[in-house]
Amino acid sequence: MILNPLPESAAPSPPPSWYWSLPYVAVALFVATMAALLWLTHRQDSEEQRATLINDVLWMEQNLSFQFERNSELLAQLGPSLLKTAALSPTTEARVRQALDAESGLVRLLWLKEDGSVRGAQPPYTDSHLVGEAGGTFPSSAAYRLSRAMGRPSYSDAYSVIDNQTQFEVHVPVFEGGHYLGSVVGVYSLNNLLSRQVPWWFSERYRVSVTNNLGVEIAAKSKVSPLSSLTYEMALDPPGHGLSLTVTAYKSEVRWISLLLMGSLGVLAAAIVWSLWQLRRHMLRRQAAEHALRAEHAFRKAMEDSLNTGMRARDLKGRITYVNPAFCRMVGWSADELVGLVPPMPYWAPEALEHTLTVHNMVLGGQAPVQGIEIRLMRRDGERFDALLIEAPLIDSDGKHIGWMGSMVDVTEQKRAQELARQQQERLQATARLVTMGEMASTLAHELNQPLAAISSYNTGCLNMIEHGQLSQPELTGVLEKIGKQAQRAGQIIRRIHAFVRRSEPKCEPVDLNLILREAVGLVEPDAQRRGVQIQIDLEEPLPTVAADPVMIEQVAINLIRNGMDAMAEVPREHCALTLSTRLQDGMVVLSVADRGKGIPPEVAEKLFAPFFTTKAEGMGMGLNICRSIAELHRGRLSFEANPGGGTIFNFSLPTLSS
Amino acid sequence: MSQALAHIVDDDEAIRDALTWLLRTRNVAARTWASAEEFLAGWQPDFHGCIVLDIRMKEMSGLECFDVLLERNNSMPVIFLTGHGDVPMAVSTLKKGAFDFLEKPFDDNALVDVVIRAMETDARKQASQETQATVAGRLAQLTPREQEVMQLVLAGKFNKVIADELNISMRTVEVHRSRVFEKMGVRSAVELAQLLAPGRD
Repeated sequence: MILNPLPESAAPSPPPSWYWSLPYVAVALFVATMAALLWLTHRQDSEEQRATLINDVLWMEQNLSFQFERNSELLAQLGPSLLKTAALSPTTEARVRQALDAESGLVRLLWLKEDGSVRGAQPPYTDSHLVGEAGGTFPSSAAYRLSRAMGRPSYSDAYSVIDNQTQFEVHVPVFEGGHYLGSVVGVYSLNNLLSRQVPWWFSERYRVSVTNNLGVEIAAKSKVSPLSSLTYEMALDPPGHGLSLTVTAYKSEVRWISLLLMGSLGVLAAAIVWSLWQLRRHMLRRQAAEHALRAEHAFRKAMEDSLNTGMRARDLKGRITYVNPAFCRMVGWSADELVGLVPPMPYWAPEALEHTLTVHNMVLGGQAPVQGIEIRLMRRDGERFDALLIEAPLIDSDGKHIGWMGSMVDVTEQKRAQELARQQQERLQATARLVTMGEMASTLAHELNQPLAAISSYNTGCLNMIEHGQLSQPELTGVLEKIGKQAQRAGQIIRRIHAFVRRSEPKCEPVDLNLILREAVGLVEPDAQRRGVQIQIDLEEPLPTVAADPVMIEQVAINLIRNGMDAMAEVPREHCALTLSTRLQDGMVVLSVADRGKGIPPEVAEKLFAPFFTTKAEGMGMGLNICRSIAELHRGRLSFEANPGGGTIFNFSLPTLSS
Repeated sequence: MSQALAHIVDDDEAIRDALTWLLRTRNVAARTWASAEEFLAGWQPDFHGCIVLDIRMKEMSGLECFDVLLERNNSMPVIFLTGHGDVPMAVSTLKKGAFDFLEKPFDDNALVDVVIRAMETDARKQASQETQATVAGRLAQLTPREQEVMQLVLAGKFNKVIADELNISMRTVEVHRSRVFEKMGVRSAVELAQLLAPGRD
């Protein structure tokens, strides 16, 4: 469609290179922040878990210590009653059973004599349960000695017993009045201790195990290995001897909320990146399209500006919607002044307004000829020019007819050149005719000169002889005969010329003078337009036919019209009118050509029809002469009279066929 | 030596006849030729008189004929006749040495006058050519010594001076001088100078 200027942002600065990386940086920062946050949360969680673990472990240890203390105290209380009496009193027995309660962790009680030998045991003593190295060391003499020496409970090393159990002993020395009575030995089963002393909620969360000084696990609550690495190890003292309590948390608690948060954040970030990427691709495509559009626009614009053909678009009502630079140059008005104008346009030549309006309406009616139409236009400075206008319907992108696009070519120069060529051709033909005529005249002169010269010479000779008085009659007779012969020869030459001229007599046929006149006007019309002469035609119809040579009559008509136009060469254009009329008058058909020139002065009127008489710089002086000859050949007449309104009227009359 | 004639070259018989008649009435002898070709065929180097040449003829034109005559060193004056002469043509022919250029129709007696004048010019030229031939013949008879003496005499020197210059006696100079006068057919040094004057240029 029409190339309206693109909006002013014609040269958008390309976004800086960091422009596109900005969202990525933002997304990366976002993700990093999220990760840091999560990591911190996780870390805090772990810390918290570890703190809880330590707390629990400490509690556990406290609990065990407390149990050991209690048991030691109980054994110390039992000591005198066990060691001093040979048989156990029922009370003592009950208290022993109470001490061996499952809750206490003790599985056996021994009471040793002063020398360290076993005095009694509950349940009865055997060492069949001992395995490996432990055999023979039960009860532990080291612990015995230590407790006796230190006077307070001491614990033995742990040792293995059957059923993959581990036991250790506590020796509680019994004094009475500062006198050592013996020791009460309590045997702990580590396994029992763990299973009884570790509460259910603890074992649910932690795996509790005991390792010896070699790092070998000797007892554990729950056989399931924990997955978590969260573990805490502390010395189990008492009983000491390198035993350590290891508490390992089972798989740490899964924090679903944070995970969910994390996951959704990740998904969100990915979605943002993806949409940004899509957006960027879209933008790039758009940019490419815009760029292509701009390039195309610039291309079209350059094409349009370089055109020498004026382009003008109009809407369906004839309002100008667009003009190109060439059009502006042609008419001299700027595009701003022209766009929006409605007919009549300022560049329409006033004298051709009617014709231009007709053409305009024809175009709007969709009847403009495909090969274009010529109209006369006016530049701003008043100069006229001829333009060839070619119109085409303007269809918008929806296929709707919205106006007309016209291209306009200035053909003034072309027409001028054509006219010039035509004139030159005419001049050339005239020259050729002149040359031929000159040649003919020259031949004629020579031909005629010969006999005349001879006659003249004979004559002079005769006179010479008469002068000298030596003329004899026979001689004179001979010479006079010769003179006569030469005179006849001259006459023959003239007859020959006449016969030659007669060959161009008219070929008569019945013709309608009006028809011939119209044809003649058609032939001179372009010339008349160029000279700005208005040809007015006033014909009487119907006219009787005349017997005439149509070519010759047309020649006469053209000649008279041309003469009329020449006569008005210096008359202002607005008064340049040539009136052609036909009428029937006294049995003759009369063609009148009336001009509004200066008229014919009397001295010119005398010689008007004489051959080779002309008032024009380039005239041959044969036109009117020939016209009159043609008139006479047709038994007609050619005359002229002064035009009452100024100028001259030439009347060319021919007899009608009937007369 | 042939008789001096007016040679009329024209392809029109009436013209030839009328001109012959006209010239005869003024006592000028004429000979007619029906074409340039015929005239050139019959032309002799010792023709005398003048040529009346029509420019416009059927075959070879008068101008072409004139060119051929120039090539042949024709000495006769040429008078052109033309029915439609133009100034440039007349000027070019006169420059090439034509005697006159007359346009038809002409005053017949004027033509005869031109013809007579041309024939007189031709006759004078003829005579002068003859004199020159005589002088040349006489000079050829002189011995080298006599020629030397003659040159000195013509220089206006006295016999004594001549004798001194040529280292000969006065007597010898006088003998040579009288011989030169005798051979050249003159009686004095003045006559000798007059005889040789035109031949000098």
